[in-house]
Amino acid sequence: MGIARLRSKIFQVAAGIAAVSPLFVLLFVAVVLLKDALPAFRYQGFSFYTGLTWNMGNAYANNVVVHNGVQAAPGATFGILPFIVGTLASSLIAIVIGVPISLLSAFALVYKVPPRLAKWISPMVELLAGIPSVVYGLWGVIVLAPVIANQVGPWLAKLGSVIPFLGGSIGSGFGLLTSGIVLAVMIIPIITATSRDLLAQVPKLPIEGARALGMTSYESMRHVALPLAKRGIIGAIILGWSRALGETMAVLMVSGNASNYLPTNLYSPISTMASTIAALLDSAMNDATSLSIHALALIAVTLLVITMLTNLLARLLVQVGRRDIGTEG
Amino acid sequence: MNTFQKASIMTISAVIGASALSAAVTMVPALAKTKAIHHDAATIQLQETGSTLLYPLFQLWVPAYSKVAPGVQITPAGTGSGTGIQQATDGTVQIGASDAYMNNQLIAQNPGMLNIPLAISAQQIMYNIPGLSNKTVHLHLTGNVLAEIYTGKVRYWNDPQIARLNKGIRLPHAAIVPIHRLDGSGDTFLFTTLLTDTNKNWANTVSYNTSVSWPNVPGALGANGNNGVVQTAEATKYSVAYVGISWLDNGLKGGLGEAAVQNRAGRFLLPNNATISAAASAQVRKTPKNERMSLIYGPGANSYPIINYEYAIINKKQSSSAVATAVKDLLLWAISPNGGNKANFMTKVHFLPLPKSIAPLSRAQINEITG
Repeated sequence: MGIARLRSKIFQVAAGIAAVSPLFVLLFVAVVLLKDALPAFRYQGFSFYTGLTWNMGNAYANNVVVHNGVQAAPGATFGILPFIVGTLASSLIAIVIGVPISLLSAFALVYKVPPRLAKWISPMVELLAGIPSVVYGLWGVIVLAPVIANQVGPWLAKLGSVIPFLGGSIGSGFGLLTSGIVLAVMIIPIITATSRDLLAQVPKLPIEGARALGMTSYESMRHVALPLAKRGIIGAIILGWSRALGETMAVLMVSGNASNYLPTNLYSPISTMASTIAALLDSAMNDATSLSIHALALIAVTLLVITMLTNLLARLLVQVGRRDIGTEG
Repeated sequence: MNTFQKASIMTISAVIGASALSAAVTMVPALAKTKAIHHDAATIQLQETGSTLLYPLFQLWVPAYSKVAPGVQITPAGTGSGTGIQQATDGTVQIGASDAYMNNQLIAQNPGMLNIPLAISAQQIMYNIPGLSNKTVHLHLTGNVLAEIYTGKVRYWNDPQIARLNKGIRLPHAAIVPIHRLDGSGDTFLFTTLLTDTNKNWANTVSYNTSVSWPNVPGALGANGNNGVVQTAEATKYSVAYVGISWLDNGLKGGLGEAAVQNRAGRFLLPNNATISAAASAQVRKTPKNERMSLIYGPGANSYPIINYEYAIINKKQSSSAVATAVKDLLLWAISPNGGNKANFMTKVHFLPLPKSIAPLSRAQINEITG
């Protein structure tokens, strides 16, 4: 066998390993987490998903309780509905605020801003995407939370008579709305940068054709550029959403970290699944029965499944959308 | 290349990938269990991990101790008390650090673990009430009233239960925002122990731990770390929070008030050197041989009620006699008033030295360490 063929074989095997590694990493993570999570599910059952109370039990008690063959600290009960609701609600707010802004700025960067200026602005978007989340969190604590508590909240609350979820007590500014806005700011650069690159790849010819036919710039974007880049843009939005679902540090800092109840209005303190895992792991190690750690693993499994489901749902939407438009992005 | 060849290459790659992965998996525990390594006969490496409150003290100790024992290299890490206990128990590190002593269940599972006090720490109660700064007054609070606040039974600052303790002070009719530590924390352990000691309802429902299931109080906030608590309290009017003593200056600078807390003798005290040492000294005689004991709400007219031992968590059985000797020497130096308990270390991290009379108990525990 010649050296060239050997080289080629090595390359093929190496590329093969690299290609299947994501599958294996995913399987490995899923299997380890599931194995770790199982005792918590045996102990708590489906009330893990419907329960409101999270209590790791009294680790300093001298006895343990046994339920369904699983040992637990006395008083232990694991209900994560508030964390699920907090995660979904805050990330949806981020999407609602973030997506329009991202798409408009991506469109502007590609079609509206003079190229010489865009050359300066574009890298800023990437820089924003690279800022550590703790910095966004700090901004949320120092700047955003007081503004929500003192200005935005009272103004929005006036709409409370029309939309009940906007009314009620505004509280301290740490909560659902602040988390959603911080997350929006964090995902805007991601969605903007990705969709900007996609729009830039849309062939010039159809756009110029559209303009030649007398379409306005809005029409040429809406009817020509957007359909062509649609698949990728939905992908970019999903990317942003996954980031928002899994974000830990920034949310930890601004969410108010409520447990044991569901948000009553837009300003209620919340907790997310990711931030709960990060925050409680150290204490969970105090639990001699280890059930608290199993319960955190079960949260992780749940987060994994939710992220996968949103991805699947998005892919499904994209396929349906593609069939309707009849274009290939 | 035909499909069959492609498929076979994919299969081979998959098998190699899987075996590499499984090799990695089996290596993880092996790597994690790095015992103290002897680089050469002269150097012994010790790993310390755990309490983020003790971490700054270890950072001060390490360079100083390297002059005392040049052959011992210590690597400290601030990871959290629970991590410190776990990694010391499973042998990943030689020294765990914890703000809370190990619970009975964990000790029953791991009877070889020692809890050795290294220093005394304390905690203060802080509040953000506009117009009530420390210059004018320190609000009086009791553990019992704090429990009522954190269970939502006392909702406003001008509640009769608070007003009764603070005659002559104009308290606002504003909703109290109780702030707690979200992350597992020695400070939560101390605070909830105080509430457990002073409020029956709290003892029966919430009890004490490094994190607890906080009662549902509208508007109550959780914050991450002592810095998060101080930030949140500064940003939130009418809030109340428990804060580790190392963060006292920080909170005061940010305009927070510092409460005088009622001790068992009924007096309202602020934490300072005199009241903390008084509380520590008063409880030395009650400290059991294993030194696992709460110092919260102790006896003594001049005793501040929220203090604790900061612990080194050590496995009696170390990997070799050389490592055991190194650990023993380090701990003996650490608790010595001429070594690690020297004032210039302690004041920098706002700890107080151990009472002198506790030393025999600690020395007896340290002598149990063998290789």
